[in-house]
Amino acid sequence: MTPAHTVAEPGGTGRRGVLGTLAHTLRVIVRYPTGAFGLFLLAVFVIVALIGPLISPYGPFEVVQTAQGRVARLVPPGSVALLGTTNQGSDVLSQLLYGTRVALLVGVISAVGSVVLGTLIGLVSGYFGGKVDEAIMRFTDVAFGIPFLPFALIVISVAGPSLPLVILLVTLFLWRTTSRVIRAQVLTLKTRPFVWAARAAGASEWRILFVHIAPNVLPLSFLYMAIGVQGGVMLEAALSFLGFGDPNVVSWGSMLNQAFRAGAMRSAWWWVIPPGVALSLFVISVFMVTRAYEELLNPRLRET
Amino acid sequence: MNSLHWYLLRRLVLLLFVTVAVLTILFVMFKLLPGNPLSVFIDSNFSEEMIRRQKQLWGLDAPLWLQYVRYMWNMLTFSFGTSFFQMTPVRDIVVEKLLHTAAMIVPAVVLSVVLGALLGSWLGWRRGSRREGAVVISLLALRSVPSFFVGIIVLMVFSYNLGWFPPGGMVSIGGQGDSFLETIFSVDFLHHLILPCLVLMTREITSPALLLRSTMLEVKGSDFLDILRAKGLPERRIVMHATRNALLPLVTDVAVMMGFLFQGQVLLEIIFAWPGVGRELVTALNDLDYPVAQACFFVMALIILVFNFVADVLYAFIDPRVTLS
Repeated sequence: MTPAHTVAEPGGTGRRGVLGTLAHTLRVIVRYPTGAFGLFLLAVFVIVALIGPLISPYGPFEVVQTAQGRVARLVPPGSVALLGTTNQGSDVLSQLLYGTRVALLVGVISAVGSVVLGTLIGLVSGYFGGKVDEAIMRFTDVAFGIPFLPFALIVISVAGPSLPLVILLVTLFLWRTTSRVIRAQVLTLKTRPFVWAARAAGASEWRILFVHIAPNVLPLSFLYMAIGVQGGVMLEAALSFLGFGDPNVVSWGSMLNQAFRAGAMRSAWWWVIPPGVALSLFVISVFMVTRAYEELLNPRLRET
Repeated sequence: MNSLHWYLLRRLVLLLFVTVAVLTILFVMFKLLPGNPLSVFIDSNFSEEMIRRQKQLWGLDAPLWLQYVRYMWNMLTFSFGTSFFQMTPVRDIVVEKLLHTAAMIVPAVVLSVVLGALLGSWLGWRRGSRREGAVVISLLALRSVPSFFVGIIVLMVFSYNLGWFPPGGMVSIGGQGDSFLETIFSVDFLHHLILPCLVLMTREITSPALLLRSTMLEVKGSDFLDILRAKGLPERRIVMHATRNALLPLVTDVAVMMGFLFQGQVLLEIIFAWPGVGRELVTALNDLDYPVAQACFFVMALIILVFNFVADVLYAFIDPRVTLS
């Protein structure tokens, strides 16, 4: 469901700047119980991503040994390894902690990249209209015509898997929706009186666009950034699960891939459940935050 | 030419334009990216002469523009060449896999829409109650759990632990019928279908349910319902009348859903070892069987484009209140 964003944030965000808007946004989200809970979960994920490698008992590929000096293969959760080990003798907990960093890295970079790209494209397209708009929108139509997962699989298989390539592909996938939504928003904003006033005062087109209009679409951009982090994490997990992720890093998706291939669904639940639960919890926490924020942005959603 | 005709024509031109653009991107990708498909096929033992002949056979010695024209023609006429490994026409492979994918998607979409519509009309009618709020939130939360993890959990519980369902595949070994229809109308096939179908439904039921809920809210205030009420119809019958009027927007939603699922089910096909077009794409890429991979990609892209086109057209035709601008 994509709600119609017809209303900019009440009160306007004219002079707050990017960081001010962000701080204001967070304050408002915390007012909703689900939003506060989602933010709390997200904070835990961020902390784990930052300090995960420091607190993890082993390296992501390190082979754990039993007391007898043997390789600890498929050991259930217990004293040797808190969450058990994989068939290669790696520690599941350590992989999970390292994987959090990879997930957030992909999610955040691709979300920021795609939102900056999508916002700029949407601003220019919506504000200038005419031939520019027509060309940009047809280009967007083409981008929407490309099925992401199959496309990414082909590019990765031809060019070779790597984390930067995954981030690039995810970014190229995520900007499309943002640019369409921002464009629609700009179309309504540019007919508002404050834009006429700015023009009458002699402001240049670019000044009107970036000083007067852009701050008003920022709340919407933040919403799509949050949705983008979620999308980025999911897509990275999907690609890695299919075996098309960077083979040199451990991510939740690649853990699931290894577990799936090794038949751990039959024999080693402790290897399958943690990465899947981490992924689901992350996605749900972003969902709760965006849901609270969306209700704020779009009063119509609150009524119905 | 009235506005409807113009609208259709514009949509059709756009469909062609996007299809050609997507095909061009695919062509450029294979030409530009490092890693030469030819190197997969050609052994270091090949002599210069053999390599030259192979290139000639595939038309790789022609100038680039001619290669592009030939490629376009081949794709648009669905002549995808021969698989590197299976040595059968790619078209036959793709058609077979598409049917398999459809055999999983169509039942899931039909069930999701029917059950989702019922649930949605109930939600719309009971709007504001505490239970309604709880159901909406759990639907949304359920949709955000990655469906491939749901698939893994479902397999672990119902197949590996309880043993109620087979651990993947479309039919048991030797269970293949003489024809496709015979296969999909067998009990064995249904037994294999249930789990992947349920997993797809947990995701796909949300959109029709929420859509019907919100249109139901609009319909609920209509005058004709008051008339029905004045006639003394029971509440249950009135809900049915209201639902029928709220169904219109659902039609386009179904078209978009179908198109999307043909590419969205790749992960589920892998998890349930379902021999569909998505799994074929992954297998072809792992085998570096580029003709098959290329065809699978093109067919998936085309299906999305066509279904979106159908959705736009239906949208214009079905609801006379829609203005085309």
